[in-house]
Amino acid sequence: MIDNGLLVQMLLGALLGLSVYLPLAAGQLSLATPAFYAVGGTLAALLSTRWSVLGATAAGGFPVLSLLLELVLGGALAGTLALLVGRLVLRLRGIYLAIATIALVEIVRVAILNLPFTGGAIGIFSIPQPFTDASGYLLTALILLVLTGWICQRLDTMPLGRAMAAIRDDELAAGCMGIDTTRVKLTAFVLSAVVAGTSGALAAHFLNTWNARQGSFDVSITTLAFVILGGSRAWLGPVVGGLLLTALPELLRPVGDVRLVLFGLVIVLGPVLAPRGLVSPELLERLGRWGSPTREQKP
Amino acid sequence: MSTALLEVRDLSCRFGGLMALDGVSFSVASGEIFGLIGPNGAGKTTLFNLVSGLTPPSSGSVIWRGAAITDLPPHRRNRLGLARTFQNLRLFDDLSVLDNLLVALERHSRSSSIDGLLCTARHRQAERQRREAAWQLLEELGLSALADRQAGTLAYGDRRRLEMARALGTDPALLLLDEPAAGLNPAEKEGLCALIQELRQRHRLTVMIIEHHVPLLMRLCDRMAVLDFGVRIALGSPNVVRRDPRVIAAYLGGDASGETP
Ligand SMILES: Nc1ncnc2c1ncn2[C@@H]1O[C@H](COP(=O)(O)OP(=O)(O)OP(=O)(O)O)[C@@H](O)[C@H]1O
Ligand SMILES: [Mg+2]
Repeated sequence: MIDNGLLVQMLLGALLGLSVYLPLAAGQLSLATPAFYAVGGTLAALLSTRWSVLGATAAGGFPVLSLLLELVLGGALAGTLALLVGRLVLRLRGIYLAIATIALVEIVRVAILNLPFTGGAIGIFSIPQPFTDASGYLLTALILLVLTGWICQRLDTMPLGRAMAAIRDDELAAGCMGIDTTRVKLTAFVLSAVVAGTSGALAAHFLNTWNARQGSFDVSITTLAFVILGGSRAWLGPVVGGLLLTALPELLRPVGDVRLVLFGLVIVLGPVLAPRGLVSPELLERLGRWGSPTREQKP
Repeated sequence: MSTALLEVRDLSCRFGGLMALDGVSFSVASGEIFGLIGPNGAGKTTLFNLVSGLTPPSSGSVIWRGAAITDLPPHRRNRLGLARTFQNLRLFDDLSVLDNLLVALERHSRSSSIDGLLCTARHRQAERQRREAAWQLLEELGLSALADRQAGTLAYGDRRRLEMARALGTDPALLLLDEPAAGLNPAEKEGLCALIQELRQRHRLTVMIIEHHVPLLMRLCDRMAVLDFGVRIALGSPNVVRRDPRVIAAYLGGDASGETP
């Protein structure tokens, strides 16, 4: 039931979950992840179909090195956009930030829909394939996820990560303790965008076609559900949430239309039964120390 | 005054129709303990907020070592050497006691985030130094046994001391304490008094302290200012302030030994 194709989607879900998690770890509810995902995907789709230097073949093949270049460029473009937009929107707090980032998602979607070179509603298709089957994508997505997870894990023992946690707890007090809160929030926002942009670039090749719908408002909600179900207090939470909620609709396919009801039930009941998410710091504490801030012994 | 560490000059702060501070001026000399008293709502906390950069003044300026810092954000002022505690404790409740201190100790780092990600020698050394400094502060304030506890789960007195430790972690020249003795019993208040004097010695601090318990403050302070309805009605040594008729009328109710509710 779970084939490599579904596994790739699950890993992409986990990556997008982490993209939502990063700003949230600094207390910022940003729903802009789909915008950056769309930017990365569109860039990869355009470059690989229009720019012959990258080496797409007539048979639809594509060099893996060119894919890697696109992943970097997709992340860089999304990160740059986040740097510009973040300075403006991160002045907003709470629900106002959420609304502003939804607006960003809409702006990017409409732009991609209407730009002369992005293929309108149909989008860009026949995106060349760097791999002959899904296992290549699986490996690439896995490497990206491990890399992102490792960064999140390192953050917990770094000044940047602790500053993010402090801002989440009390932004005003954090400022009075010498933390440049604007800069820390912006860094988290840019990291989030880089993860989403890179994921988008990979997804464009994997899906073979790319259009404006890939980065729509529903993706904001779905990816937020990854974090709410999985938990926002440890980076493993959004990973588990992303994997599960991406797999669930496929796994429930045999039960027919009831699956949508069951899917909805999981999203509603999850937070009721596990308010801190499936993966809470307390759970990780019990399982061992991996994925939660490490405790130190007195020297 | 050329030796002034901090000077507030004609500072006013208006909230709608309310003048929370009205043309307040004074300066705090390096090394002194400077007290701030006044009835509830007199504008004491507002003054701290203006000095630490949380609230912009309506007019007037805040001067630090001779240079205006009125336009600097809170984190820049902290990095210049100005730290504070809060009347209604504002700890990082979800973080451990130790992490609360490590957050404050961040600036003692010459390692970048890249160092942190790659866990370079420079990062490891900076972390080691931070941890040593944190443990030392915990020791000083008697919090070592609680290092791993979540800050939000501490008892009230411990939370107050953790807030002081956290402010000290930023290595300030001036420490602003907003009612650090509130909610403590008389014995604890005495202990706190001794602690503040000890910390001043050891960290070469200048201290500004807001406190309602007048006798305690008079014993602790070198000089003090009295606020009433946003106006500075007295300034000077405790002995002078104690005899000031305006203070007696406005605040002490004719008896300098009493404690206000
Ligand atoms: N952000 C704000 N908006 C509106 N009014 C405020 C604000 N902050 C303080 N005030 C008002 O300004 C006045 C001074 O408040 P402040 O907190 O500085 O008093 P205080 O001297 O610290 O009193 P207390 O002893 O009760 O702590 C009060 O009347 C208060 O209601
Ligand atoms: Mg007050």
